[in-house]
Amino acid sequence: MLAASAAALPVLLAASGCRSADAFAGPDPLAGPPSPAPDVLTLQAVIAAEQALIRLYQAAIGTSTRATVQEHGLEALLAQHQSHLTRLRSRLILPAPTPSASASPAATASGTPAAVGIAQLRAAEGASAASLLRRLATVQPGLAQLFASIAASDATHAMVLGG
Amino acid sequence: MMALVAPVSALQDALAAENAAIFGYGVAGAHLTGTGQAAAEQDWTGHSEARDQLVTMIARLGAAPVAARAFYQLPFAVHDAASARDLAAYLEDGVTRAYLGLVAVSDQQLRGFGALAMQGSAERAAFWRGSTQAFPGLQGS
Repeated sequence: MLAASAAALPVLLAASGCRSADAFAGPDPLAGPPSPAPDVLTLQAVIAAEQALIRLYQAAIGTSTRATVQEHGLEALLAQHQSHLTRLRSRLILPAPTPSASASPAATASGTPAAVGIAQLRAAEGASAASLLRRLATVQPGLAQLFASIAASDATHAMVLGG
Repeated sequence: MMALVAPVSALQDALAAENAAIFGYGVAGAHLTGTGQAAAEQDWTGHSEARDQLVTMIARLGAAPVAARAFYQLPFAVHDAASARDLAAYLEDGVTRAYLGLVAVSDQQLRGFGALAMQGSAERAAFWRGSTQAFPGLQGS
């Protein structure tokens, strides 16, 4: 066995029932990509929720009168959500998953935006703030602070929308 | 990755911000009238209640709560209603930043407490400023 070449080692390991991770320290290159850390999964979920909120605003702006859009400052609120999304994405090394069409609350199957009212936006902002608060306990401090700040922003949006 | 923050230190920072806000609202309220003055009084009361709660929380952790100063240097001259509203927004921004520190502690209840307090101060800041911010409490908001 001392004469076994390096090329023969995987064969010997396989014959003995060993996997490469049993023989070497570190990640197993044969086991596929490692599972994402919990913070990554949480961040992906928050990014998907932020994208849904942005689609909701886009639908509201697209289906409301100009006076309603201006009265409630919807374009400014949308811009802040786009800033949220940019900041959230900057914290993610992996690409965010592409949301499925069924995840969109504001689009019909034909792609025609459904009418979205101010009350719906207000409820979505409140729900977003509450959801972010529920996620604080399980993430690293820096990410918790970002979530808390976005939640506070969402709360102010709900307020100016009449919440 | 940001390091965890000590709970007592974060609570003391929040208390210091509340003490400053209580002082500042006293100044702002003197330059406001009508609904503005009523809002300032309501916010002054809210900050006083928050101060009392923080004092209790810090004492329960075995520490001595930081005392309020007799006088606080204002960030700019306050001489009319507009500058009074600016001061109120400035004070709330400071309170929001302080509570953001609590969100970095390991204690889950304190994190939630800090985050909820941030929402209140961010809403008050938005009221006084007349506009919202994308990232209350964070730099570059």
